[in-house]
Amino acid sequence: MGNDSPTPSTRRRFVNWLLGTSAGGLAAAVLYPVTRYLLPPEVTESATASVTLPFTVNDIPLNSGKIFKFGSLPGILVHTPQGEFRAFSATCTHLACIVQYRDDLSHIWCACHNGHFDLNGRNIIGPPPKPLEVFTVRVSGEQIIVSRGA
Amino acid sequence: MRVLTLTGLAMAALFLGTGLGAPPAVVAQDAPNYCVSCHQALTVERLAAPVARYTQDVHAAKGFGCVACHGGDPTVAGFNGMDPAKGFLGKPEGQLLLQVCGRCHSDAGFMRRYNPALRVDQVAEYRSSVHGQRLTLYRDTLVATCTNCHPAHAIRPPSDPQSSVHPLNVARTCSVCHADSTHMAGYQIPTNQLERYEQSVHWAALSERGDQSAPTCNDCHGNHGAAPPGVDWVGNVCGQCHSVMADYFAASPHSAVFTRLGVPGCALCHGNHQVQAASDTLLGVGEGSVCSRCHVEGVGGGIVAAAMRARVDSLRAAYGFADSLLQRAERAGMEVSQARFDLSGAQTALVQAQAAIHAFELDSVAHHADEGLQVAAAAVERGHGALGELRFRRVGLTVSTGLILLLIIGVILKIRQIEA
Repeated sequence: MGNDSPTPSTRRRFVNWLLGTSAGGLAAAVLYPVTRYLLPPEVTESATASVTLPFTVNDIPLNSGKIFKFGSLPGILVHTPQGEFRAFSATCTHLACIVQYRDDLSHIWCACHNGHFDLNGRNIIGPPPKPLEVFTVRVSGEQIIVSRGA
Repeated sequence: MRVLTLTGLAMAALFLGTGLGAPPAVVAQDAPNYCVSCHQALTVERLAAPVARYTQDVHAAKGFGCVACHGGDPTVAGFNGMDPAKGFLGKPEGQLLLQVCGRCHSDAGFMRRYNPALRVDQVAEYRSSVHGQRLTLYRDTLVATCTNCHPAHAIRPPSDPQSSVHPLNVARTCSVCHADSTHMAGYQIPTNQLERYEQSVHWAALSERGDQSAPTCNDCHGNHGAAPPGVDWVGNVCGQCHSVMADYFAASPHSAVFTRLGVPGCALCHGNHQVQAASDTLLGVGEGSVCSRCHVEGVGGGIVAAAMRARVDSLRAAYGFADSLLQRAERAGMEVSQARFDLSGAQTALVQAQAAIHAFELDSVAHHADEGLQVAAAAVERGHGALGELRFRRVGLTVSTGLILLLIIGVILKIRQIEA
């Protein structure tokens, strides 16, 4: 049993190796995030899921619409003639122009190529090939919160 | 089993001469249908096939039997049931076919019972078409009549993807005659319309993107009233969808000139069946431009065309540069969402400037282009600001990291000195 026990120099080498590798691990743990910060991955910002609008329910009269910022993209909030709030992506599905609300038609309208969308976001007249993306609207007091999905 | 068959049809033999009688009525009866039982037993394919095919026909689904179109008496077997005295018509063709189909399809009261939304002016429209004119005025029996587009015994509603007149199938249906050079030999018109149409942006939108609002043959030529668009109303046809451009064009100096010269408005620059996605290269006086077919560089319209192109190119380049700058900043983790939101306005301005080209005057294009250039310039400034901030942060991080490392080294050396 006594012949098999490690010599003091073996133990010292083991302790030195252990400390050396720990220091290397520590250095890697510090330098890796720094490197990742300096060279970020080629991905875009994750899609915004929800925004609180910078205006209140009192700022948008009946039968009107207002453009708002949803992440980096435009959205449109519509206060319908019936008093409902509805929100959609404001990017026209034809050539990505920004749509607007037409109070004379009670439609969402794209001026670029005269595309019309109804108040459910459906493309009803003109060249837009698809409906507008529909957002969920929640009114909390005077605040309006718009989110993607249910 | 009770079998629905048509028996109210013209037993009074009102068919020929004074025209066909009132629309047939669907009557349930238990009597045998000798049309079906005899014809399906025949060995002549031409006579037996319609029985099998008709089971899929929309008219069969509504309860109409053979006699609705062919007359006769289905309760009597053999040739006795096919007695002209009992209204038997045989295979109606030409103008008689129009009467047979029109007897129901031109009767609003009758059609309301089956399909209230269906129009009832098909026969009247057909008579105004090139097909109808040739049939009625020249007795031309080669032209299309009802069953050329709506195949007899296998008629399906247009909404059925298997229908010959479903939007995806219309071009193929028309091409059965129009792509047949032998059939069309006497008419001296091209037979390559289908080939060209299938290379067009309209067909791509319809077939690849599934956009059923994209036009096929009947959207430009009419369906029952099919005719080539006239020179002075091509713009109206294209303007059904491209209304903004049509409005610009109608108010432009080109509109009256093109009409006077007898050239078709939109089609002169964009073509007809082989319409391609419009690009900026069509504008100006350079290679690929359509303006240079009439206008010379440096003179009159050539100057305007080149100036419009320069404005559009400037805006496109400015938008592209601003977009790439903001993308770089965004990928590097900088917050530029407001700048990207604002830049959407430049994209809108670019599309509006491209539409305004159809006014053929510089001011209309410049109005939108200048607006877009301002938006793009603001976005570029913000992009440069974001990238400058990124550089500053990186340098700061590098310097502070270096200082921390130096401090660590100093601490280590100091510990060793104390230990020694």
